Amino acid sequence: MDDPGKLKWTVVSVMSTALRYGLAVVSVAAALGLARAFVYFHLPQPFAAFALSAIAITFWYSGTAPGIVAAVLSSLVRSFFFEPDTNAESRVLYDVVFLVFALLMTRVARARNELERRVAERTAELTRSNDNLKREIAERSHAEYLTSKVFECSPDSISIVGTDYRYERVNPVYQRDWERAAESIVGMHVEDLWGKPLFENKLRPLLDRCFAGEDVSFVDWIDGTLGRRYVAITYSPLRSSVQRVEAALVIARDLTEHALASEALRQAQADLAHASRLTAMGELTASLAHEVNQPITAAVNGASTCVRWLTREDPDLGEAREAASGVIRNAKRAADIIKRIRSMSKKSEPTKQAIDLNEVIREIITMLHNEAHRYSISILTNLDATAPKVVADPVQVQQVMMNLIMNSIDAMKEVDRRRELRICSELAEHQQVVIAVSDTGVGLPSQQAKQIFDAFFTTKPHGIGMGLRISRTIVESHGGRLWAADNSPFGAKFYFTLPASLGSEG
Amino acid sequence: MQGSRGSYERMIAQAFPSGHSSSMSTHGESKLVAIVDDDDSVRSTLRELLRASGFLSNTFESAEDFLRSCHRQATACLITDIRMPGMSGLELQARMNAENCRIPTIFITAHGDEEMRFQAMRAGAVEFLQKPFDDCVLVEFVQAALNR
Repeated sequence: MDDPGKLKWTVVSVMSTALRYGLAVVSVAAALGLARAFVYFHLPQPFAAFALSAIAITFWYSGTAPGIVAAVLSSLVRSFFFEPDTNAESRVLYDVVFLVFALLMTRVARARNELERRVAERTAELTRSNDNLKREIAERSHAEYLTSKVFECSPDSISIVGTDYRYERVNPVYQRDWERAAESIVGMHVEDLWGKPLFENKLRPLLDRCFAGEDVSFVDWIDGTLGRRYVAITYSPLRSSVQRVEAALVIARDLTEHALASEALRQAQADLAHASRLTAMGELTASLAHEVNQPITAAVNGASTCVRWLTREDPDLGEAREAASGVIRNAKRAADIIKRIRSMSKKSEPTKQAIDLNEVIREIITMLHNEAHRYSISILTNLDATAPKVVADPVQVQQVMMNLIMNSIDAMKEVDRRRELRICSELAEHQQVVIAVSDTGVGLPSQQAKQIFDAFFTTKPHGIGMGLRISRTIVESHGGRLWAADNSPFGAKFYFTLPASLGSEG
Repeated sequence: MQGSRGSYERMIAQAFPSGHSSSMSTHGESKLVAIVDDDDSVRSTLRELLRASGFLSNTFESAEDFLRSCHRQATACLITDIRMPGMSGLELQARMNAENCRIPTIFITAHGDEEMRFQAMRAGAVEFLQKPFDDCVLVEFVQAALNR
């Protein structure tokens, strides 16, 4: 199949060989012609010079072998056409000159070949590096395209601010936000765009830290010429080849809408939790009234006793003082109960602090023990006194405890067996304090055990089904878990965990 | 209020012409008052109030405690809470009635309604008082019960 190609190559090769040797013959013939012409015109006979030129030309253009052929030919032509009668010594001299010249020319030709090879190598090298450069340029322009695409299409505002606090480049977000051409912002001072107070108080310190070489992030509300916005900004130092920071790359994202939405959500959750607390407190009104009424009754009794000791014919001041201090004690107890009720009913922002869960449990029990007594429920506690404190909002934790205890009381109201509410606290693994509230009530709804934590799921005739849902939200927002299990041999058991406060004093 | 308080004091002054201090000697061991209330502070202040008024009393944390007590026979007047863990005041009254042991009984309760009051009075209660109560009214009724 490739015969024609091979043939062609062979032909070219033969042709080239023929040409190379032909040059030897032709150049020697030309030297002969020129020398004969010189002889004809009676000029000094310079065949040797012409022959050397012919040999040189042949060596140069056709290589070593044709060059030697030219040398041999020159020698033959000289002895045949010129001075055929020369003696053997001068013939040898000529031959030696031709031979030495041929040898020299061999070296020259080799040097030339070497040079040519080097030139070819260098050319190839240059071609290669040229190709690399071309590829690099293509890659760079693609990278530049991507960069500019990111810059132009980013939903975040991106700018480059020089160390003179002037914008060097801004992306179209600026154009959109400020409703002016991006070109008109370039060159502006940051202070002129955002206003002096914001620049001096917030932006300048951040930029200065960045210019000092630090990567700076900032998330907060800012008040600038665009109004009150919630933004996340990052400042990255831009360096030249020298280590000096030349500018800051500023990327800012406007999170105002998100912040408002999550604030609204948080507010709604707080409102819901508050409403749920009020509902629970409402259910407890009778018990709480009784709870407050007891110390008030005791105080009134004490005051009456005091009056009686004082109004006798021989007033007994010692007894009167004793009775009066009882009044103080009981009035304080009433006030304490009211304070607890108020703290549960008041609407306040959650404030986390290190609290003793056992203390919270005892307070809730004080508040609910009447409700339990009302249904002949005994409350048993097994609180681990060594359990560490937890970081939590006390009102919210009280709410969770109250929800769980109220659920247990509700579950036991109707059952005809020992009614027992058991509350345990202990330190579990992973530095979690676990609280368990178990009862001997009707137990978890067998078919819907998983739904009890769903919103609006309830088994109570007047329940709204938010108690467990809110309790779980509260516990999870504190980094804990809330779950339910069957109690043995009957009833339900609820557990929740809260992470122990680190570095707590016990 | 002021007027009614004044009238009770007058009544008591008539009942005890010699003054409160003499009442202690007037009522002997047989004139014991029993107080049944699950709230510790109410129980103890009530006992002190009666002591200041010249009455001796025993206190009990629950109806069951009272029923078990050996002082039961010596009790001339019973003051009991209604809502208590375990046996309620009304159940205690019914139990005493069933055993034909009719001790004059005064009920004190934080959340008594008309129905409860009616039930208690029908079963023979001396009085049904809402907490907190006027000491003069209580003392008057205790006095009346002991004088029976």
